Order: sequence, then C-alpha cells, then structure tokens
Amino acid sequence: MLRTLKTISLAGALAGLLVAGGATIATTAAHADVTVKFWHSFKGGNGKALDEIIQKFEAANPGIHIEGENVGDYNDIVAKLQAAIPAHRAPDAVIMEVTRYGLFAEHGVLTDLTPYVDADPLKDNLFDYAREIGVYNGKNYIVPFNSSTAVLYYNKDILARAGYTTEPPLKSFDDILKVAKTITEKLGSEGITGIAAPGQFARWSLIMSNDSDLIDSKTGDILIDKPGTVDAYKWMSSLVYKEKVASADGVTDEDNGKKAFLAGKVGIMLNSTGDYGGAKKAIGDNLVVRPMPCNKVCRVAIGGAGIGILSSSPREVQDAAYKFISFAASPESNATWFAATGYMPINKLTAAQPVAAQALATEPGIDVAIQQLDFARGRPRPPVVTWMRATEYDMWQAMALGQRGVEETLKDFAERTRQEATRVTN
Amino acid sequence: MLRKLTPYLFVAPLVAFIAVFTYVPILTSLNLSVRNWNFLTPDMPFVGLENYRLLISSRDFWNALWVTTLFTVFSVPIRLFLALIVASYLARETFVSRLLRGALFLPFVTSTVSIAVVFSWVFATDYGLINPVLGWFGIGKVAWLQDPALALWVLIFVNTWKQIGYDVVIYIAGLQAIPQELYDAAAIDGGKRLHVFRRITFPLVMPTTYFLLVVSVIEAFQVFTIVNVMTHGGPAGATDLLVHMLYRIGFVLFDIGQGSALAVMLFVLLVTLALLKSRLIGRKVHYEA
Amino acid sequence: MKREHPLKLALALAAGLLFLSPALYSIVLSFQTADSYYRGGFDFTLGNYRNAVGFYHFARYLLNSVIVSSLVTLLSIGFSTMAAFAFARFRFRGGDFLFGAVVATLMIPSHISLIPNYLTLAKAGLLDSYAGLVLPAISNGFAAFFLRQYIRGIPKALDEAAYMDGATPLKVLWRVIVPLARPAILSMALYVFITEWNNYIWPLVAIGKEDLYTLQIGLARLYHNNPGEGLIDWPLVMAASTLTLLPVLAGFLLVERHLVRGITMGAVK
Repeated sequence: MLRTLKTISLAGALAGLLVAGGATIATTAAHADVTVKFWHSFKGGNGKALDEIIQKFEAANPGIHIEGENVGDYNDIVAKLQAAIPAHRAPDAVIMEVTRYGLFAEHGVLTDLTPYVDADPLKDNLFDYAREIGVYNGKNYIVPFNSSTAVLYYNKDILARAGYTTEPPLKSFDDILKVAKTITEKLGSEGITGIAAPGQFARWSLIMSNDSDLIDSKTGDILIDKPGTVDAYKWMSSLVYKEKVASADGVTDEDNGKKAFLAGKVGIMLNSTGDYGGAKKAIGDNLVVRPMPCNKVCRVAIGGAGIGILSSSPREVQDAAYKFISFAASPESNATWFAATGYMPINKLTAAQPVAAQALATEPGIDVAIQQLDFARGRPRPPVVTWMRATEYDMWQAMALGQRGVEETLKDFAERTRQEATRVTN
Repeated sequence: MLRKLTPYLFVAPLVAFIAVFTYVPILTSLNLSVRNWNFLTPDMPFVGLENYRLLISSRDFWNALWVTTLFTVFSVPIRLFLALIVASYLARETFVSRLLRGALFLPFVTSTVSIAVVFSWVFATDYGLINPVLGWFGIGKVAWLQDPALALWVLIFVNTWKQIGYDVVIYIAGLQAIPQELYDAAAIDGGKRLHVFRRITFPLVMPTTYFLLVVSVIEAFQVFTIVNVMTHGGPAGATDLLVHMLYRIGFVLFDIGQGSALAVMLFVLLVTLALLKSRLIGRKVHYEA
Repeated sequence: MKREHPLKLALALAAGLLFLSPALYSIVLSFQTADSYYRGGFDFTLGNYRNAVGFYHFARYLLNSVIVSSLVTLLSIGFSTMAAFAFARFRFRGGDFLFGAVVATLMIPSHISLIPNYLTLAKAGLLDSYAGLVLPAISNGFAAFFLRQYIRGIPKALDEAAYMDGATPLKVLWRVIVPLARPAILSMALYVFITEWNNYIWPLVAIGKEDLYTLQIGLARLYHNNPGEGLIDWPLVMAASTLTLLPVLAGFLLVERHLVRGITMGAVK
C-alpha cells in the first residue's frame, strides 16, 4: 500500500517538475539591468530598420535591453494582447494601430503617458497630426512611431505596355477603373491584372474621398450604411466581382494583393506609404507614387501606429520603455525609419537630418504622403473600432466576392456595430 | 482502512485530471455563457440569455450551422460509400490488401496541419499541383480556395482523404466478422457478386455503418484544423464551420460570453449525437448476441 | 499468405501511390530549390531543410513536440493503467459512478473546455509552459476505458495467486497485469502519442512564445507568414511539412499493426 502511495506521490512530483520546468523555460534571463519586452508588427526591410533603431538605443542606454518581437500584423497584436491579459503575459511596450488602441486605453491596459510626454521636449517637435494620434479622451496613450497615409502606386512599365505612354488621369473612381480595365484587357493573357483589391486601410480612405466615413470623427456616429459609404463599397467591390479587374486572391488575404504588385503582376495598388521601401526594392524605377484619388473630395485617413506602455509593467520598466519610445520618435531615429520605409516623418526636425534630406532628394514619390497631409484626417478610436475592423474583413469578402448585396451587407454591419458599441461600453 | 482506500488512490490521479479539465469546464462554460466579458474588465456582468439571443439572431451562426451541415451531409455519405467499396475489396488477408490498407491508413495518423498545408499547395491557384494538370486539358486556372462556391468542396475532399483509412479499417473489421458460411451458402445458390453484396454484405455490415455514421457526423461537426490552416473560414464565410466560428468569437473577437454560449449549444448537440451512438452500439452488441 | 498475381500487385501499388501522390510529391518538392520550382526545372538541394531547421527553428519545435507528446503519453498511460486496474478488479463505493464519469468523457467534445481551460491555466500561470500543454491532455478517459476492458479479460486467478504470495495491489498491477496487458498498453500509448503529436487547437491558444511552439503550430505559422518575396516559398514550406509528418510516419510504419488494432478495438469493442 505504501508503494501505491509512493507511486502516486512520484507522479505528483513529476507533474510538479513539469510545472517548474515549464516556468524556467518561460522566463528569459535578463541580460541587462532592465529588459523591455516590446511587441511590434514589422518584418522584412521594415523589421531591419526597426532593429537598427533598437541597436542604436541600446548602445546609447547600456542599462536597458529592448527585447523586440514581431508578433504578426496589427490584428494579431490586438488579439495577442487581449488574450494575454488574463494570463498576465502581456509585454511591456507594444505597437498599437492608431484606431485600435482605444479599447485598451478604456480598460486601463495601457498606461497614461501624459506625464511622460509633458516632461519630454519631444512634444514640441512632433507634428500636430502626429501628436493627435496618441490622444484618447484627452490623455496620451501612445506616442507615434510609424505614421502613414494611403497613396496610389502604379507600375510604369505595366501601364506603358497597356498603351499609356503618358500618365492617364487618376483622380476619380472612374479614372482608375478605366485604367485598370485597359490593363486587364491588354495584359490579362500574361497573368497581369489592373489593380490590387484595396486593403482595409485603403478602403477607409476611399470611403473618405467619397465624402463619407465609417464612423463620424466628431460625434462617433456609425456611418457604415450612409449613401456615400455604400457607393464607395459598391465601387470597390465591383473591381473584383463585376469588372474583374482585381484578383480575388487579394480579397481573401490582402497581403496577396501587395505581393502580386511587388511581383510585377498588378498595375495599380492603393496602399500605405509604409510600403514604399519594399515596393521600391521590388520594382525599382518602375514604381510611381501618386496621391489617392479625390472622387468627391480630397481626403485621406492618417494611419500607422504608435507605441504604448502596459500599465501592468513595473515602474522602472515603464520608465525604460518610455526612454525607448522617445528615442524612436527622435529626429535621428525617425529619419532612419522614414528613409528606409517611406513612413511619414512625425518629427518636425526629421527633414533636416542628412539621411532624410537625401531620401527626399533622391527617392521620387516618397514625399507624396507628406503632401497629402494638407487634407489628411485622423480617425476616432472608441473601443468599438477594434471589433468593427475585425468584422469588416468578412463583410468586405462577402461583398467583393459577390456573395451578398452591398446595401444589405452594410445595413446589417452598421446595425451590429451600433449594437456592439453599446455592449462594449456597458 | 488503507485497504479500502486502495482503489480510490488508484483512480484518483486520472479522475482528478478529468474533473479539473473536463467536468469543471462544462460548468465554467455555462457560467460564462450568461455573462458579458472580453478578458479586459475585472468584472463579468450577468446578462441572462442575451448571448444566446444574439447568437441565434446573428447571420454568422446560421451560416456556420448551414455550412457545417452541408459539410457533414456531403462528406459523411461519400466517405462511407467509398470506404465500404474499398473495404470489400481489401477484406481478404493478402499481401496486396495489407499494403493498400497501410497506404490508406497513413493519412489518418499523419499530422492534419501537414495535410492541410500540402493540399493548400495542391489547390493553389498559381504554382499548385491541380491547376497545371487541368491546364493540359485546356482548362483555365481555377481559384479553388478563393471561390466561395468551391472552397467547401476542397475541404470535404481533404477531410475525406484524411479520414477514409479509418473507415476502411473499421469496415474491414466488420466485414471479417461476417460468418464465411453465409457467403458459401450464397455461392452454392449461384449468387452474383453484386447480389451477394446487396443481400448479405450490406445488411450484415449495417451495425458498422451505423457506428461509422455517428462517429463521422460527430467528427465532421468538430472539424477545425483544416479550416484554420487552409481558409480561415473564408472566402466570405463559405467554410466557417462551427468550431472555427467558436475559435473566432473566443480568440479573435474575444466575446467570451457569446463564444461560451456557442460552445454550450454545440456541446448539447454533440452529446445528443454521442448518446445516439452508444444506443446504436448497444443495439449492435445486442444484434451479435 | 497467398502469392499475388504480379499484374494485380502492380495495379495495387499504382493505386496506393496515386492515393498518396500529393504527400509524396510534396516530399519531392522539399528537395528542390524555389527558383527551379518556379522555373519548372529541378535542382536538388538540402537547403530547405537547413533553412527550416536552422533559420526557422524547426529543430526546437521538433524537440518541443517530442517532449510534450512523450510526457502526455507517459502520464496519461500511467494514470489510465492505474485507474483501469482499479475499475477492473475492485468493487468500491462510487466505483461505477466514477467509471461512468471517466467513460462519459468519450462523448464530451473537447471544444467546451477550450475557453475555461485557457482561463484555468492562465490563473495558474501555466500558459506558455510545457505543463500548460501537457496537463489538459491527460484528461481523457479513452485509454482507461479501453484498458479496463482488456484487463477484465485477464484471468483473475493470476492476481489471486500473487496476492496469496503476499503481493501488494501495486505489485500485482506491475508484475501481473502490466506484462499481460502489454499489447493493449502499447497500442494505447501509440494512439495517445499520435493524437497529442497532431494536436493543434490547444497549443494554438495556449502557446504564445515561439520557443514553445510545437511542430504543428510552427508549420501553420510558417505557412501563414508566406515566406518568400512576392511568391510563397513552397519548397521551404514542404520541407517543414515533411519534418512534421515524418517522425509519426516512421513510427507508424514500425508498429502499424499495433496501432490499427488499438484503433479498431477501441471502435468496435
């Protein structure tokens, strides 16, 4: 009998060992005095540029180690962060997309950075638009890192082969459709399509240029079923479903649309200026950048992300994290970042930095996004936006693949978003 | 005293694990299903049956139920039909039939993620395996996984490919249990092959068919991995099977209340099916006796 | 065994190969350079494997899978054998009820515990650890049910004789039952190992740290991250996929008969 007990306790000990073993593996040894765990969304060339900034920061601040990890795109970050809360495994600092952090600010997951920002000379050097990005309910929750507007990219070679020796007008929805049609007709047999299905960021900007919005930037009203929005979605989905000038590949995964453009298989792409670096590397001098269309009005959405700090982190880690955030927004870092990626300068002193000045002089089109700032607009960020954007993908697929009428879909989507907005604030 | 305790000590570890990770969760799910929670708030307000109401009135739920039903209604009969035919060819203990059984069984034990990745490539629009083959016959590129009308069929195909080995093995066991004398008698009567199959094999293997039917319906209602890897429920919800919807609500949208409500409803459905299964197996044992 | 007609053998071989062709071709693909694949040629390389193991950490994932599956098998079979022995050989108050509760887990779909188990392990601080992967997987009554049926088939006289010699219940289990039930235990161990090896949804929600990814999670991630500039790097993905399915495949070929028997018996019994 005693043996039975022994075996059972042995089994228990084994289980205990497991737990202990797991725990040892789960904690990483800190190499420096303070380690800041930092979740971000950058890979490829953009990831390298970020690593460079981190390295420079660590060299300048020997006591601080930044443990950066690319955990996926903006959606993945939101999901991972939300899942991490009950498990107490959130990082210390995190890149948050500019419309999706409200949920986390509202529930006290992100710490209020106002005291830090107020004490930081950086605040006077940030552009107004960039400063505004981080403010929710009057408090500062994120500091801008990568700011963007959507721009229109086209492949000069493809347009030329489709017969456009001079640049066609690309101002209205009709202009763009016409060019996309011509490309698809002339070059479709070579596997080339006219335009990449617009991603969510571009979709939002296109809705704005149709003099409408998804959510009212002042009142916070849901505008998903307003005529201007409906018409914009009708046009966007017609590119895929009715006119077939955009491939469905880019609807099921918007990364595919970008990849096809980079591979020289697509004529026009509407996407973030943050893709400038990658696109330039892929198609070189054939890359042309133009402002987004002004269908009814000239208006684009300010996108990108800022870095926030978790309220669950110890004070000294938060302090270290803010140092890094401030460093990442400094003219030097911002210039490195701008020149490597194409994301807009957020710091007024950035343009004077040699590396930025050189990029502006030698990289045609890198300044298009900056010029658009005259008519760019920040977007509201109440908690429901996180849900709305996660759900919009399915709605868009249903419309773009012709599974469901645009009006019906958006009416349903608007109702559910309103319902969710009341649920999420209760 | 210690003697009396012995059996309890023997069963204690397993029972403890089962209690903590299987039974308590059922109660937890019931509790969470009447609350509004997104992991972020310290409290979870009670909302009654609101989550169930929201689910039942949502298009997504009916879509998922419909898609899952479609998946089940087509994949299960196809599997059983093919498996029975194959099994009746492979029931004899020969080298060839053992070899083929092994080949058919291989996918069943293989990693589902691997299979899903391999078939994502097989059905890729560009640079896949099927489209170039179709190209030889002058058929243009088919967007298998991007077309809402096709994606579910691809998943049915992949699931069948993975699961059929199991059905075949079970059918073979069932077929081998049929007394040889019955066949001998039929042979004396000069029965044609198809006739023998219809009159002897099919009815006698019926208990196995019932069993497989229920097992594969239960399995079909729980398909997740191939959906998550191959389509993410898309395009446009065309492959948003119930468990995938549950994952989406729970771990993408973090509506823990609605996710739990869906889990509870699916639980009730599957337990009902499982009870049906044990009754059917009961009948089988009865039948054999 | 009868000798087959060569033509029949060839046909059967062809049918088997055709059935497995997608998987087999994917293995061939994994030995090819991405360039040559997209050009339509064939250049042999081991680079995809080097890349998968080195750069994409599949060696680490393989190790994680081996550790997790082994621990689950060990603990699950250990606990199940003990419980099966008690259920088969002892009559005790509540025994039938407990056995019923164990068997009933076969009917309980695992998704019901997804969110609750996440919260339990979160509270215990065990997400992102081997324990977090292993512990919930032990909560499965199938092996206990199956082994109990098997042990009941072992003549009770053997136990009695051992008890006469003064053996403790544990000794009887270890010296008498386990050796006689070995084929059944082995079949179940294989079944549990393979099931755990292929487990996907639980590690997907429980593991956030890359260090602890199992092969299944690593492979799904690699595929979704679309390695390759412009075009997805299929040969690399297939190398990772081959690494994921090969160990189980090899194991299966070694012990096919045991496994098939375990699964068939589990179903029909």
